[in-house]
Amino acid sequence: MNKLKLNYTSLSFLPILVCIPLGYQLINNIHFGGFKLFQEFLISACNPKIDNEIIITVINRLNETILIGFFSWLVSIIFGAIFGIISSNIFYKIFNIPNFFCRIIRFFLTIIRSIHEVVWGIVLMQIYGINFSIGIIAICIPYIAVNSKVFAEQLETIDYKRFEYINQINAPKFSSLLTIVWNPIINTFKNFGLYRLECSIRSTVILGLFGIGGIGTSIFLSFQTLNFRELWTYLWSLAILIILSGLIFKKIKFNTTNKILSIFFIAVFFITILFSFSYFLYFIFNNNFENFNSVSSLFKSSSDLGLFDFLKIILETIILSLLSTGIAISLPPILIGIFNNNTSKFFIKIFAFLLRLIPTPLILLILLTFNNPSLSLAALTLGLHNAGITSKLLFTNLESQNRRNYIAMKSLGISKKTSWLLGLFSQQAKSYLAYCVYRSDIIIRETAIVGVIGSIGLGWQLRESLSSFAWQEVTIVLIAYSSIAIVGELINGKIKNSLT
Amino acid sequence: MNNTLLELKNISYKYKNNLILNKVNLKINSGDKIALLGKSGSGKTTLISVLNGTIKPTQGEVKLFNKSFEELDRKQKSKITTIWQDLRLIEDLTAEQNVNCGLLAENNFYFAFKNLLNISSFKKAHKYMQLCSLHNSVYDKKIRKLSGGQKQRVAIARSLIQGSNILLADEPFNNLDPKLIKTIKNLLLENVDKNNAKKSQKTVLVSLHRLDLLKDFDKVIGIRDGKILFNIKRNNLKKLHLDKIY
Repeated sequence: MNKLKLNYTSLSFLPILVCIPLGYQLINNIHFGGFKLFQEFLISACNPKIDNEIIITVINRLNETILIGFFSWLVSIIFGAIFGIISSNIFYKIFNIPNFFCRIIRFFLTIIRSIHEVVWGIVLMQIYGINFSIGIIAICIPYIAVNSKVFAEQLETIDYKRFEYINQINAPKFSSLLTIVWNPIINTFKNFGLYRLECSIRSTVILGLFGIGGIGTSIFLSFQTLNFRELWTYLWSLAILIILSGLIFKKIKFNTTNKILSIFFIAVFFITILFSFSYFLYFIFNNNFENFNSVSSLFKSSSDLGLFDFLKIILETIILSLLSTGIAISLPPILIGIFNNNTSKFFIKIFAFLLRLIPTPLILLILLTFNNPSLSLAALTLGLHNAGITSKLLFTNLESQNRRNYIAMKSLGISKKTSWLLGLFSQQAKSYLAYCVYRSDIIIRETAIVGVIGSIGLGWQLRESLSSFAWQEVTIVLIAYSSIAIVGELINGKIKNSLT
Repeated sequence: MNNTLLELKNISYKYKNNLILNKVNLKINSGDKIALLGKSGSGKTTLISVLNGTIKPTQGEVKLFNKSFEELDRKQKSKITTIWQDLRLIEDLTAEQNVNCGLLAENNFYFAFKNLLNISSFKKAHKYMQLCSLHNSVYDKKIRKLSGGQKQRVAIARSLIQGSNILLADEPFNNLDPKLIKTIKNLLLENVDKNNAKKSQKTVLVSLHRLDLLKDFDKVIGIRDGKILFNIKRNNLKKLHLDKIY
């Protein structure tokens, strides 16, 4: 018997095996109570509610979403760049500071980054109450850390000889630093900045589901009242916003040689820093910390969380991440490979777009209409949402790839599916897997979102502990959650290095 | 009077168990115009890197103005400039911004900021670029869009604008045509400011391969396998010396 050879192509398909245990549990958990609701949900997609009242609501809610999303993005990208610089080796070389401090800052940022914005949001809301600015702060905290990592990684690619030259001119340290980091920072902003704005808007929508405001809150309220037509009006308007912003982002070209534009950007930079600091101080000194006293009970409160139960929910979270990652990796290439014609591809693209558009908690709530809450259902939700994202990347890469090999194989009489697999996909498999590894970092963090809704893992425990103000439990859960994310990131880093 | 600017005492440099410089002793006096000769891989670039303080020798002592590099302040260190063989230009900046980088040492942070934003004055940069036969069309072009020869001249203009007392150049005539070589050689060896009647005692050390360029230098140093084999006045240079190093 021929042995199965593991290569990048087969590794892209193998994770689909997670569907065996997953499917078994899902079939066992199926119920028919909510099929009618599900049907109604699907039909409403083609018949959204459109009247003057809802249009005004949509505009107001979208304004709120854009406002929260934009400010979180602006603050997180600027502070991300600053933290990126002070967590890069080049900073410590120029200022002759021991590299030890760089590692401390990086570790600190890794911890902040490991906790999802929804978790930050829920915790902050519990402490400070529901507040418009909590949304911005909750997004900014992990986003600053995420952006700083990207900026720092770019700064690490600076040619050491450039540093040597600038160092040898003996210019003031800050002038040297600025001259060296300027272009990598600007280029990272050009390539990555606008994508982060889109992420920021998506995060605002998800936080909205938890009551922060904006279109997310309206989506959640209309789902709770089972007003699916209204729900689809919000979803389609969100889709229009995302498509429009995508089109606008493509048109925007940053011209750094334009003096007026440069001065404008610098003005925005400093005003944002100033505004953020002033707001931070205002927030600290003028906020009515209704529940803040309860934080002091952190050291008094005792935890009812048993060790066995705690280990069980940690294990659940890990399994949830693995199952979701398996779906996110394998589903797109399998679907594209099997349904390899233009009409099918069009429908797969629309399906993938909807999976990206509909926030994960909502996908889970919809699936709950015909399936009992379980680990498999949460994994399926998270896996489907992320498959929507990985499939977008796969489509983009496949479409930009040279089709020579594919055409040559087809001309030899090889079937269309095999030609696609060997002539097209096999060349993309390595980079696709590398991206999926990066995506799995995000999936680990996102387990908290589905956990909160789907009674699974640490996310659910966090919500329970927060509602009973058991701060010691909250701290333990956050430490466990952060540790899983950090360990996951370390493992993924090793895999990513071997792939790139 | 002791007018020694740079001094190397018993310098050795090891890299991955290879001895690149072997017990080098060298004195460079004010106003010296020195040509450094040697085969590729003989240690010329390493010697220049030790002289400008970029690399620390494994053994021995380097003195600039009779002080070790650690004892010098920023302003004193900036009195030595280098034209590197690999140019070390900032690829994403324009030619004029790169030349202006040579002025970073004598200006504050605000100047660096204005330079990057393209709102600083490029008058001085343009003057030096013109001296290096670089014209208007090149000024605002990014380095990566320039030809090898143009890049070479940008690097030279950037070093000249620094106005340092000591100029070290590692094969600065690469990529240049014969006419340009003559122009650039004159620029490197003479005082750039033509209006200044009093010539400064500029000290220059240039590593070379072409022997026909030696005539304007006072001294010639020959290096082979990391060892200085001769350090003589140019007039005393014989074929015998060249046979030792090539």
